[in-house]
Amino acid sequence: MKDIVTVDHLRVEFSTDDGPVIGVKDVSFAIAPGETLCVVGESGSGKSVTSLSLMRLVEFGGGTITNGALNFVRMDGTTLDVAAASPQVMGAVRGNEIGMIFQEPMTALNPVFTIERQLTDGLMLHKGLSQEAATARALDLLKSVRIPEPERRLKQYPHELSGGMRQRVVIAIAIAMACEPKLLIADEPTTALDVTIQAEILALINRLKRENGMAVLFITHDMAVVAQMADRVVVMRHGSIVETGTVQQIFENPQEDYTKALLAAVPKLGEMKGKAAPERMRLIGDEAARAAQTAPKPRKPQVLLQVKNLTTRFPVKGGILRRTVAQVHAVEDVSFTLNVGETLALVGESGCGKSSCGRSILRLIEPTSGEVWIGGRDIGALNRQDLRRARADMQMVFQDPFASLNPYRRLKDQVAEPIQNFGLASGAELRDWVLQLFDRVRLPREFMNRFPHELSGGQRQRVAIARALAVNPKLIVADEAVSALDVSVQAQVLNLMMELQEDLGLSYLFISHDMAVVERVAHHVGVMYLGRIVEIGPRGSVFDNPSHPYTKSLLSAVPIADPSKRRFAEDLAFKPISSPIFPLDHRPALSVYTEVAPGHHVLQA
Amino acid sequence: MRALCGARVLSLGVLHMAYVLNRLLSVILTLFLITLVTFAVTNILPGDVAMMIMGTQSNPEALAGLRQSLGLNDPLLVQYGHWVGGMVTGDWGTSLIFKKPIIELLGQKALASAIIVIMSMTIALALAVPLGVWAAVHRDKWQDTVSSSSALMGVSLPDFFWGILMILVFARWLGWFPSSGFVDPSVDFWATLRHAFLPSFALGLGLMAHLTRMTRSTMTGILSQEFIRVARAKGLAERTVIWRYALANAIGPVITIAGLQIGYLFGSIIVMESLFGYTGMGWLTYQALLNRDLPLIQYTVVFIAAVVMLTNLAVDLLYVVIDPRIRLG
Repeated sequence: MKDIVTVDHLRVEFSTDDGPVIGVKDVSFAIAPGETLCVVGESGSGKSVTSLSLMRLVEFGGGTITNGALNFVRMDGTTLDVAAASPQVMGAVRGNEIGMIFQEPMTALNPVFTIERQLTDGLMLHKGLSQEAATARALDLLKSVRIPEPERRLKQYPHELSGGMRQRVVIAIAIAMACEPKLLIADEPTTALDVTIQAEILALINRLKRENGMAVLFITHDMAVVAQMADRVVVMRHGSIVETGTVQQIFENPQEDYTKALLAAVPKLGEMKGKAAPERMRLIGDEAARAAQTAPKPRKPQVLLQVKNLTTRFPVKGGILRRTVAQVHAVEDVSFTLNVGETLALVGESGCGKSSCGRSILRLIEPTSGEVWIGGRDIGALNRQDLRRARADMQMVFQDPFASLNPYRRLKDQVAEPIQNFGLASGAELRDWVLQLFDRVRLPREFMNRFPHELSGGQRQRVAIARALAVNPKLIVADEAVSALDVSVQAQVLNLMMELQEDLGLSYLFISHDMAVVERVAHHVGVMYLGRIVEIGPRGSVFDNPSHPYTKSLLSAVPIADPSKRRFAEDLAFKPISSPIFPLDHRPALSVYTEVAPGHHVLQA
Repeated sequence: MRALCGARVLSLGVLHMAYVLNRLLSVILTLFLITLVTFAVTNILPGDVAMMIMGTQSNPEALAGLRQSLGLNDPLLVQYGHWVGGMVTGDWGTSLIFKKPIIELLGQKALASAIIVIMSMTIALALAVPLGVWAAVHRDKWQDTVSSSSALMGVSLPDFFWGILMILVFARWLGWFPSSGFVDPSVDFWATLRHAFLPSFALGLGLMAHLTRMTRSTMTGILSQEFIRVARAKGLAERTVIWRYALANAIGPVITIAGLQIGYLFGSIIVMESLFGYTGMGWLTYQALLNRDLPLIQYTVVFIAAVVMLTNLAVDLLYVVIDPRIRLG
């Protein structure tokens, strides 16, 4: 079939105070009707700029298409060069013949207009429909994206809808015109969503493509999503195309080193089957480090962290007197143990209480009840001073390394700060200590005098790890510590964390939403849902034999980085997570578990 | 907004009466505190009403008699009770200098000033919103510089400077507007507006600066949001995207600032009305202070406080209509 879009030697430049910056250097590709082309790349590869250029939205961000043609076959059969089209013509094409979905469903809808208005204004503009006809059409659209209670949604405002529902509305807007824009551009449409909602949205896009014969341009950084969605793949780096091919070619027989490295860095769910211990990521060019991985020394299990019946609730205030009217049950009767030198992963979707649990253990937020013992010390019973001293044993690494470092201080001072705080060293000794820490996390020593903004995301996260290591802690709580990083950088940081664990006997409480990463790094896994651990046990046992219904649905929703294992063909509907807010007099039942295998416990219903 | 706003107002009316009553209650409570403070302060000031009426050279016996008849010898609490009681029943007493019932005096002058307040706020918003939007759309370009420097000039030069400039240019040289005076609207409404225009314009230029900056900064934030991209991706005209989609989100904080400025406006009005010989609240306050007309001062203070609080209440309610995310309760 004739290609619907042909991009030919596209080049996009952005004018900045420091002169022009090239967003896209030289990109060419074509998409046929009924085909999904995935453009994959790490941050800064130019993949989003490419998609915005096709809509000519790039100029609103200060970009200019300086070379190339973007030929698009319009509904009437004529070919339009988008790069040269007038704003009036683009107004007729945008939303009408090309629909677009964006990354952030939470902010993609105008908060002060109803869903109805946001669906109907495009219809009235492009199709000249009356208000009544447009509303009827909007209702059909909401039904076609399978939103529950569509009639009610029309009258609602965006803040009254969940993230998944909002993304469905954005898709409805994108496909609003006659339900067949010829081209649908999806720019990281599921990156900000929980994994079960991601699965639903991916399945929805697949169905709409199948039913309407649309061409889909799918932009993503996630190789697993690519494997699930793509017919053909374009791998981008630094504004240029590295490799193009069918999804099978790219995944089974990649030609370029960069593609190989990218694929190697992606953990594939299920690849750890039958392996007892965590294993470092395969990094191209880092075989030496991998070979250096010592076989795990059989150590006698020794308990470091013991959590008993931990409960944390947050007050919900209301009324004129701001009295507590209800409580968020963030962590509800959670118990587990973590051994010296091991990793316990807490997994779950947003709002499940995994972060609150980590913070409650460190008493960064005060738990409501329960006990936390670290190395034989009752953390909950410590007074302010003793708690401060105890913090040397328990450190934290956060998700956003840019936000967790002070932008105005040199890196060496930030790494030295905890050491000085606890009065552990000064002068030359302190300098040596910091030097060793930079070596330890494999950062060049000349970085010591730099500021955070001079480093990349991965380098910043290494600094954050160095800072956490500075006081020789026994426990590190890593809260989504690799989630914000590009996949190759994520693999390097994960390997560093595993290496440090082997060398220093560190224990990690590894909080993550990413099942594939968890499978790779964890000794034990706890699955959290509505504040409780619904299933906990050795990693192999939990992944091979998930026993709680929630764990099963979670695992079934994870995209696998293997195009031969596709899972999102049919429409999916996972049970929505209910609210953790309860009235003050709510007395939740205790968590009672059944042991399904040695050490593998499942919450009783 | 159109019909949607109407529907929201209706539903507000039914659902949120409790909220409005609550807010009114807190306004009344605050007003009560203000009456206490006003009463206390005016009583601490040296001299009393009897002295003001009869003059410092008056006969001590006559003075004592007047004090007795005015109730000035009663305990303070009783005096306060009388005062507040009068306030509620509409018996506000008589101004010492104008020899007229205070309630009548305040009514007239408040109307005169309301014209200036509304007119200056309208002028300020009419200038500030387009200027702020223009600056936000052309952020970091020359348009932005022009907008922010003109706004900065508006705020750095004092109101009376603008007043003098207005008189010079529009009254003296061009002769388009009268340079001073006030005409009662019941006599000639058109003349009222013409007399109010120059002081309003001068005040509006001072108000404009904050509003422009607020519009610019909220618009800048809104324009970088994803829903703006979505609106563009729908194919909506840029005009619609900016003036409907973006401005509907950006206007809330601007209106809040405008509401707060009503309070400041009462300060500026004193100077401006005196400069233009415009006999409104500002002029009245000035006369009352100058002549130590204690009863008039007391009522003027309470009256202005009430107006400012009710304006802000109105703005808050308006905000609820504009932004559906705001939950009441």
